[in-house]
Amino acid sequence: MKTFSQKPAEVTKDWILIDAEGLVVGRLASLVANRLRGKHKPSFTPHVDDGDNVIIINADKAVFTGRKYEDKKYFWHTGYPGGIKERTAKQLFEGRFPERVLEKAVQRMIPRGPLGRRQMKNLKVYAGAEHPHEAQQPKVLDVAALSSKNTRA
Amino acid sequence: MARVKRGVTSHAKHKKTIKAAKGFYGRRKNTIRIAKQAVERSMQYATRDRRTKKRNFRALWVQRLNAAAREHGLSYSRLIDGLNKAGIEMDRKVLSDMAIHEPDAFAAVVAQAKDALSYLKDGNANEYERAVGA
Repeated sequence: MKTFSQKPAEVTKDWILIDAEGLVVGRLASLVANRLRGKHKPSFTPHVDDGDNVIIINADKAVFTGRKYEDKKYFWHTGYPGGIKERTAKQLFEGRFPERVLEKAVQRMIPRGPLGRRQMKNLKVYAGAEHPHEAQQPKVLDVAALSSKNTRA
Repeated sequence: MARVKRGVTSHAKHKKTIKAAKGFYGRRKNTIRIAKQAVERSMQYATRDRRTKKRNFRALWVQRLNAAAREHGLSYSRLIDGLNKAGIEMDRKVLSDMAIHEPDAFAAVVAQAKDALSYLKDGNANEYERAVGA
């Protein structure tokens, strides 16, 4: 018997819709990362993009536990000497692109590489309650109901 | 010019090496000195990887089984615990294949495994299992 290997042409990708309002960022991100990678499917194949398409709305209303809203820092380096920069989660949330908090959290949970970059494209994050993917008829996934820890007490 | 008597065998040897180096990158595929080193190393990798292949596949079956078990409200470790207690001796390879191609049969096996797990009935299911509806 030969172990099954999913063929890229035979992948069926679902669309799922998640309302991030009140959900804890990290816990949501890990669920989304698993979905994007296809690790929830019995036919998971490591080298094939067989995950789902995930739409997240209300990404600006996701929450951090503890003091992370004010304390968590996002670093990047410009390449110049002394070029380390930082921003806090609060600054990101209050800035022009609050959805980047969730995007970044998911991105850092996905393996870096060509496949990871492709799977990141299957993630659509929106700050508001609107999304332009109605035509795909996404299935709503209630993350809060999966565990009491998924929302901040 | 001096007569070369060993040319035939060396040439045959080189040809063999170059043939084994097909598809390598840069000078590794057509310069005998470098191709020889590359082929030696590739053989070492091949020997090692014939052994790691078995581990890699087992790891993949475990990952797939975990996904399949979670569809039925069990984690992988609890599924395996249940299977052991139920005396089911199917291996991970067969089970993971079943989960893909025969989901109904797999569900029946999971149901047996669940029956063998007393802690699910004692009300000691964890939060995840209750949420998924064990």
